[in-house]
Amino acid sequence: MTTFEQRLARLETIAGELEGDGVDLARALALFEEGVQNLRAAADELAAAEARVQRLIERADGSFDVIDRE
Amino acid sequence: MQRHEQYGPQEELPLSEFIDGVPGETARSAVAVGTLNAAAKDIIEGAFIPLWVRGEINDFKAHRNGHWYFCLRDSRAQVRCVVWSSDQRRFPAPPDDGMQVAAFGRLTVYAARGEMQFTITRIEAEGDGLRRKALEITRARLEKDGLLASERKRPLPRFPRVIAVVTSPEGAALHDIVAVMRRRSANVRLVVVPAAVQGDTAPEELCYALDQVNRWGGADLAIVARGGGSREDLWAFNNERVARAVAACGVPTISAVGHEIDLSICDLVADHRAPTPSAAAETATSSRAELETHLRKLSLRVSGAARALIRDRADTLRHLSRDVAGAVEGQISTQRATLQSVAGRLNALSPVATLARGYAIARAEDGGTLSSIDAFRDGQHFDLVVRDGTVPARVDGASRPSARAGA
Repeated sequence: MTTFEQRLARLETIAGELEGDGVDLARALALFEEGVQNLRAAADELAAAEARVQRLIERADGSFDVIDRE
Repeated sequence: MQRHEQYGPQEELPLSEFIDGVPGETARSAVAVGTLNAAAKDIIEGAFIPLWVRGEINDFKAHRNGHWYFCLRDSRAQVRCVVWSSDQRRFPAPPDDGMQVAAFGRLTVYAARGEMQFTITRIEAEGDGLRRKALEITRARLEKDGLLASERKRPLPRFPRVIAVVTSPEGAALHDIVAVMRRRSANVRLVVVPAAVQGDTAPEELCYALDQVNRWGGADLAIVARGGGSREDLWAFNNERVARAVAACGVPTISAVGHEIDLSICDLVADHRAPTPSAAAETATSSRAELETHLRKLSLRVSGAARALIRDRADTLRHLSRDVAGAVEGQISTQRATLQSVAGRLNALSPVATLARGYAIARAEDGGTLSSIDAFRDGQHFDLVVRDGTVPARVDGASRPSARAGA
């Protein structure tokens, strides 16, 4: 799974490459398309995140539960 | 040497010892050595409540059996001392010979050997010497293993979604972190992983909590936090095992222990050191607005760059086509010039030009040129083509010129 950070990093790279010299047009278009996809995914992720305070509980079998604290 | 000494096998006193009055009063009523020591033990141990004694550490030995033995002495006297291994975890480090200390313990008698010893449970070294020593030792060991190297520091995630907070669930640290997160409306899930942050069990609980963070695997950042407190309160965060657990954490770590001035071993090992728990929360959670701005900037960069690139390519194309057109045009005019010169030369060869100079062409009725006397027959009709027209003509006796003749 691509993390938010990986998306940001990829976007930086794409912007950098597009801003550089000697990118051929087909490559530029592919980069642009990838950039747009990453931007959209990152914005979606940002919109979906929510603030919560929870607590980690370890069950006897070693599995974990996260329960709301308040 | 044994941890819990007994009185020794308590012999029944022989009846004879009572017959002659007070035991030990006469040779006949002499008491056994064990009896003497047992009595001494009773008296001495009963006479002293646990107390602090000051002196200099001397002849320190960490025995194979795990206990520490040494003497505490001053200019006038010395006393044998022991620290049982089970009491040693309260000690930041073993004391060194020559250290001036105050030691807390109780005076005991080791009856089997007739020795008095001071059984120590705490030591305060002058100038906090034990803690300083412990810090140096721990730091050196971690350094040797490369755990303090700056290359080890991992960058913190820009947008962590799940932050594990290893701390006391009731502590001020957690309260501060939650408050900051609320204020910044950071869209983040805090998952508290409870651990005692002070007291004897704190190191173990902190290690366990950090291990839970790893085994759970659901966080993308971990904060190890504790509010301010005394040096002793914060001591668990200088524990080597805790430090190693922080270093072994699978996700980037922020250490926030005490206040600004308190620098712990955990701070040195963590990927990032925050001066306070609140500061840790600030560092960990960029606000949502910040992230949105960042995304917008990236978006502008990508689309701007793409647009600039396309404009650049279009310009190149335009220049190129202009160049091509110029080149073609040049080619054409060169060829036109060539054509003109060729045309001039062709013109010079043209029969029309010859006619212009006053020559005439005889042409047969079928259009063929009659250029030899042999082509003419007497009475034959033909055309005579001159500069400005055609004259019908007829052969009236053709003859080969005998000498030289005109046409």
